[in-house]
Amino acid sequence: MKRSTRLWRTLRVARAAFTLWCLYKVPAIWRRLRGLPERKGAQLDATHERAARVVLACALDLRGVIIKTCQAVATRSDQFPPAFVNQLKQLHDAVPPKPFAVVREVVERELGKPLGAVFERFDETPIASASLAQVHGARLLDGREVAVKVQYPDIEEIVRVDTRNLRRACRVYERFDPQPLELLPLLDELVSHTALELDFRREGASAERVRRLFAGDDRVRVPEIHAEWSTRRVLVMERVSGMKVTDKQALIAAGLDPADVVQDLMRVWVRMIMAEGFFQADPHPGNLFVTPEGRLVLLDFGLSKQLPEGFGLGLFELMFSMMTQNESAMLRAFQELGFVTKTGDPSTFLLITRRMMNRSESGRFEGEFTEEMTDELFDAIRENPVVRVPADFVLVGRALGLLSGIAHTLGSRANVLQAMGGG
Amino acid sequence: MVEAPLVWSREELLESGPYAEPLIAGGVRCHGGFDEDGRYRSPRTLHRGPAIAAWQARLAREGTPLVDIDRRLMPPQYPSVAQAKLLLQQGVRDPVVRSLTIISIVEGFGAIIRDVAVPDLHALVVEPVEGTALAHLGEGLFEAHARDESGWREEGGHKQMWEAARDLAFEKPKIPSDVLLRMMGRGGRGERGERLLPELDEKTERLIVMMAQVLAVEVMAEGTFQWGIELLSDPEVSAAPERAGDMVRYVRADESPHVEYLRTALSELRGRTLRTVDGRSLAGREAVDRVLHALLRNLTRSRPRQQRDDVRTTLAEDMKVAANPAALLEAFDALDASWTPPERTGFEPERAAAG
Repeated sequence: MKRSTRLWRTLRVARAAFTLWCLYKVPAIWRRLRGLPERKGAQLDATHERAARVVLACALDLRGVIIKTCQAVATRSDQFPPAFVNQLKQLHDAVPPKPFAVVREVVERELGKPLGAVFERFDETPIASASLAQVHGARLLDGREVAVKVQYPDIEEIVRVDTRNLRRACRVYERFDPQPLELLPLLDELVSHTALELDFRREGASAERVRRLFAGDDRVRVPEIHAEWSTRRVLVMERVSGMKVTDKQALIAAGLDPADVVQDLMRVWVRMIMAEGFFQADPHPGNLFVTPEGRLVLLDFGLSKQLPEGFGLGLFELMFSMMTQNESAMLRAFQELGFVTKTGDPSTFLLITRRMMNRSESGRFEGEFTEEMTDELFDAIRENPVVRVPADFVLVGRALGLLSGIAHTLGSRANVLQAMGGG
Repeated sequence: MVEAPLVWSREELLESGPYAEPLIAGGVRCHGGFDEDGRYRSPRTLHRGPAIAAWQARLAREGTPLVDIDRRLMPPQYPSVAQAKLLLQQGVRDPVVRSLTIISIVEGFGAIIRDVAVPDLHALVVEPVEGTALAHLGEGLFEAHARDESGWREEGGHKQMWEAARDLAFEKPKIPSDVLLRMMGRGGRGERGERLLPELDEKTERLIVMMAQVLAVEVMAEGTFQWGIELLSDPEVSAAPERAGDMVRYVRADESPHVEYLRTALSELRGRTLRTVDGRSLAGREAVDRVLHALLRNLTRSRPRQQRDDVRTTLAEDMKVAANPAALLEAFDALDASWTPPERTGFEPERAAAG
């Protein structure tokens, strides 16, 4: 990466950070000098909205790890205001692609051959583009249709520079804010995830692990990875097409029962999370297809996560105690899962759980973490800064919330306990 | 003796008797308790017990026999008491701890019975249903059953009681990390099979199938209770033979009302006539027997193999902690008892047709 590019990236982050500082701190200082109360509610929401747009613009300019950071922020509704979550959510599927020439160069360098030596056809227009890579359709010389995920050039260097810049910005923020959000741990976690995601061989291995897990299940399909054509920066996998999992009309037209699709979806994720302790942590509709025969296709294993031993049993105990309204068992489960109250008063957990259950249709927990309930959980935690939530729980909660959203779109319910075998 | 009334409120069916002493298991307050004489009293049976007796007496007066599942249809527990004892004596605890943990979880899942939708019985059944167990399914019987299995609020249920029995007998053992994987091991959703009662609407079919399934599982659980009591009461392998064994005895006592209300409700259906979706009628006996026959035939065929496969999946790995795993496996297999299910379920279609 050129020195001028590095400098430009640093200045771009600095400009965004300064704009944010001005948006939040200048009015605060002004109001303090005039003896006015701090801004709250709608006034602050408007500032959050403007600040989120500044961050979004910066992410779209710089891509790379800035986009990854923003995507992570968009999943942490327990820590960030809704304006940030909603604005930055766009980055999950609205990243402009790189020109084909750039892609071609990466693939040929990685494979050590011209495109024509491996592929009979390589589509110039990508199927999808994301923060670290984009995906193209292609056909191997033996006629097999494949999807090729290609990492952007210089991305590792970009990640290093951006991480350093973000770390600086976080330190400055924490130095000057009397009650700062804990951004550095989030950044550290993100950097470790991104480092893993940059190694496509690892993503391939994760896909193969899940593929093996469901090898005997003819209702689930994980595309085969073509390891012989895959490298750290290029991932070649079987191309599988199908209907979008949320396209209810298409499913019905194909003679499939959307309730069966939801049942399969839940069975697959519950098995990964609760039983296997290893899961694809991003089940948004773009990563899921259904074949005309009714097989569920799982894509994108870049964000796959190994859960700590005992996590599944702990989560089960939490849900079970919520279902039976057993508060002492709930407290034990929260503690076993690694939730911590800074004050040492565990009743905070109960208040949060009651809020969450009040958002369910029946007013009680029946085995489904709906999007409304997980939103309420994270809202409650954000408004009550005495609780620390384990990052694994946030990822799992978000995944279950996404599955619940899909289930509701299909007119069904994402009942975790039922998927475990109780129903 | 004055017979109890036939109509009860939901609150009455959920009411527990006064206890002189509560049941505390492993530090957890559980349901039920002890009377002045120290005898265990099951929860929510103050009126539920007399109510079931009254509904059964009414059936007898009407000349309708109670559904009775032949206990010989139920396969023996695997590993057997002798096999489990051998494993424990050789320091191989995981298979038994895993089995007990899975039993506790499955018991807890019994709570889903509260979610079974009860159709409009007046529209479904030709004859009156007032004053029957059927009429009380959604009015306290399912809820009481659910609470017994999973616990309710601060009172633990069978889930917590099995956990307590395990922890007492084996002094809070480490739970194998693959418990949920093994429990969900059979995995696949499976094909949606042919409907058993296509003449009826799906909601009614689900109710009958669910009741028959739960009854079969409850009857089958008798073998599991016997296994648990024998094993956990054995001082050679249990650290708290009296208390651990008693815990399973209490669970077994609590299950008795479940078997009885389900037998009663299914028998009431058997003695009545059901309206089909096309406006005709179907003998309740034909409907209930068709479902019971299909379920029991499937259970006696698949259950022993499933249970055996579940245990054997991890047995070799579990046995690695033993001094001589190969010799242990040989001794374990030598204790295997063969089992052949009876030819007939007792609910064969021809029997129904003849009736």
